[in-house]
Amino acid sequence: MMINVGIGFSSQRDPRRAAGEIIQQAKAKIGERKINLAFLFGTIEFSHLGINQIVSELLGEEINIIGCSSAAVISNEGILRNGLGIMLLSLPEDIHIHTAYVKEIGIKSTLQAGEELAQNLLYQKEGMRRNLGLIFCDGLIQDEANFISGLQERLGLSFPLVGGWASDNLSFLKTFLYFKQITFNNAACGVIFGGRLNFGLGIKHGWKPLGKPRYVTRSFRNIIYEIDNLPAVQIYQDYLASHITQLKKDLRRISVLYPIGIYLPGEDEYLLRNLISIEENGALVLQGNIPQGSQIRLMIGTKESALEATKVAVEEAKKGLSNQTANFALIFTSVSRYIFLGRYAVQELEIIKKSLGKDTPLLGIYTYGEAAPLKAIGYHGKAYFHNQTITILVLRGMD
Amino acid sequence: MLNVPTLINLFGLGSLILIASLATLLILKIEQIKQLRNTIEKLKKSLDEMDEQAKLIIRTDMELNKLQEELDKKITGLYALQRLSQAISTSLDEEQIFNLLTTSHLEDLGFEKTLGFLWKENKFLPCINIGYLKEEVENITSLINLNKDFYRELINHKKTISSLSLQKDTILKNKLENTFAVVSFVISPILPKEGNQGILFVGTTTPDTLITEGDEELITILANQISQALENARLFEQTWRAQQSLEKKVEERTHALTQAMEDLKKISKRKTDFVSSVSHELRTPLTSIKGYASILLTGKLGSLPVEAKERIEKINRHSDELIYFINDLLDISRIESGRITLKQEVVDLKELVNKVVDLLSAQLKDKQLELKIDILEEAKNVFVDPNQIERVFINLIGNAIKFTPSGGKITIQAHKLDEMTQVDVMDTGCGIPEEAQELIFEEFYRVDNPINQELKGSGLGLTLVKGIIEAHKGKIWVKSKLGKGSIFSFTLPLVKVE
Repeated sequence: MMINVGIGFSSQRDPRRAAGEIIQQAKAKIGERKINLAFLFGTIEFSHLGINQIVSELLGEEINIIGCSSAAVISNEGILRNGLGIMLLSLPEDIHIHTAYVKEIGIKSTLQAGEELAQNLLYQKEGMRRNLGLIFCDGLIQDEANFISGLQERLGLSFPLVGGWASDNLSFLKTFLYFKQITFNNAACGVIFGGRLNFGLGIKHGWKPLGKPRYVTRSFRNIIYEIDNLPAVQIYQDYLASHITQLKKDLRRISVLYPIGIYLPGEDEYLLRNLISIEENGALVLQGNIPQGSQIRLMIGTKESALEATKVAVEEAKKGLSNQTANFALIFTSVSRYIFLGRYAVQELEIIKKSLGKDTPLLGIYTYGEAAPLKAIGYHGKAYFHNQTITILVLRGMD
Repeated sequence: MLNVPTLINLFGLGSLILIASLATLLILKIEQIKQLRNTIEKLKKSLDEMDEQAKLIIRTDMELNKLQEELDKKITGLYALQRLSQAISTSLDEEQIFNLLTTSHLEDLGFEKTLGFLWKENKFLPCINIGYLKEEVENITSLINLNKDFYRELINHKKTISSLSLQKDTILKNKLENTFAVVSFVISPILPKEGNQGILFVGTTTPDTLITEGDEELITILANQISQALENARLFEQTWRAQQSLEKKVEERTHALTQAMEDLKKISKRKTDFVSSVSHELRTPLTSIKGYASILLTGKLGSLPVEAKERIEKINRHSDELIYFINDLLDISRIESGRITLKQEVVDLKELVNKVVDLLSAQLKDKQLELKIDILEEAKNVFVDPNQIERVFINLIGNAIKFTPSGGKITIQAHKLDEMTQVDVMDTGCGIPEEAQELIFEEFYRVDNPINQELKGSGLGLTLVKGIIEAHKGKIWVKSKLGKGSIFSFTLPLVKVE
């Protein structure tokens, strides 16, 4: 049965007006049907104001709302740099969902936090057939790998898990999660889908390896201390012929243009890691874990290769539905792609719209990281934390 | 000594061959390893070379990306500026000019906050706000007014400042960044040639945003565009005001003229009423005078001496003239006051003219004038009051006879003109001077010529004619040349002949 979907977008500055507008638009499309779930995404100025509380009041307090803040909201109508977007789902009876959250991640171990979220998602739903898990997480928490491991510990190592790490206005100061009426940081929330539904997932970045392979000889979580027994920063110093101070100045540009790629045997693409900062001792702080012993390369991309990757990703996602039309699509695309593509970011959206059909409702966010399973058989469908990718998830209720 | 036979003895021939083969193999392997090492060395060298190339590629790529970023930023900014300039330059309203600047323009220019202030009544007043809450605007406005001299200085020196240009003046830079709560900014003066000057501020809170000279230029251009638009708006306002005042004056004058016209009408009516009542009052005693004079002339009251009879005859004749005159006056006042009732019917113009000509035939003969009547069939049926139109012809033909010297010619023509019949009464008389042609239809006006001096006339005939024609919704006009003659033309309603 088909999932009925209503979407609404607004660029109104006044939060109450914006909320009213998106709900009105989304409800006009969904009609009087029962609403089971709402995805809500907003740019940072709305998040400060607890936008989900306003939406919740207008929508009816019992409705499940999950979502997060984003640098911009991706919608059928374009990329809203100041805006609010909602997707209302009315599910057929043979599709079930369950939502949950975990808060105060910082004071727990990330593994524990992941486990707790999984446990909450499964609470009283252990017997439910589950097909897909979708999570949103504070974009500034560290040690994402353990958080994902914790989730998979409980949900199953091969359980398909897709996630987006919330972003802010590129200031990396505070990101927000929405769960029903609660707006919080340092937290994660998610939803589990079960029942008669199909989904397709495409995840790609388009960056290519360049130069000699190197090995991480000393690292801990998301920090590389040494590469080939030399201070990690030397890799960038060598390639860019820049002093560490200049590297720090150009950090944002370097991070986006030349991320570190981790070689994954069997995978088409390397797993990317953006650079967050350079420590005084020459250690590189990355957005995501990097295991000691990893074979790494410096990566390079162009706007063309990035957009080509978008094409491949959306086609891959469609394959999951055996090329049947999606009921809706969610897009998690990295903030670094947004910075990198600049005014070409709209083209990425156009590629997706063209491929999925312009009437397929879609909603998306710019993320500080994406979670998705690796494809090669050796990884048994285990989810990994990615950077700089476009992740496209399409869903459809079974006929 | 170990020689071959000794070795053969020692190991046996087979073993010796085996050893030799192994040794050969070993030598070969060593050779292969050497070659492989060489290959590896070469590969390693290539790899190192490739790595060096990779470095070159990355460095070039980095440079290109930096250039592209700056270029992209400029292009986007210029696009926004162009769209904005187009909109602003067509706006002629001060408030609208500022409202045209939107968040999207601002973001394309690379900023997300803007404030504009105009210097009015000795203080800076906000005229545009994007990105600030109301209270924040109030705060910033009061901070700006506290330091108004600094901002007035910017205006006076026509100077754009920014986080870039103030890099060395950290104190001022930080102060401005704090005032506007941003991390980077550009402030440019708004300088219309006349009218309120001001400042335009744009800023961003996004960290690591580097203001470039390009940004400064773009914002300066934007501020100039706004200045120009404000100037245009002011000029338009001025022109508009001037036009408004002109329109008001015209209205006032029109009103005054209408009033004067009304007054004139009132006076004219009073005059008509006066003439009418005076004429009535005159006619009664005049009838008695004429009655008694007639009786006296019959001799029923006894025969009169010749001198007395002559005088009485004069009284009688002058009384007749006076009665005609009074009747004309009464008719004119009736026509002017609209009290006349036309008894309109279908009239054959030919017959009517012939009748009038019969009446005047004696005079025509006396002066030996040639008369030609040419009334076209299509024009002969008119819808008129026959008595009144008769008077028109009597007057006009009478005048023609009066002013045409003996042996002259009078022509009466009629033809169709649109829905009317146009009648022309032409003579070969003395003509009317040009300056008098407009005046002859006015009451009591008489052209100054020898004939008029000799022959009496009331000066009411043409006034009456005009009144009658206009009462028939017709028009009357004259064309004349001194010494050549005159043409009096008038129109009458034509009856459509099925």
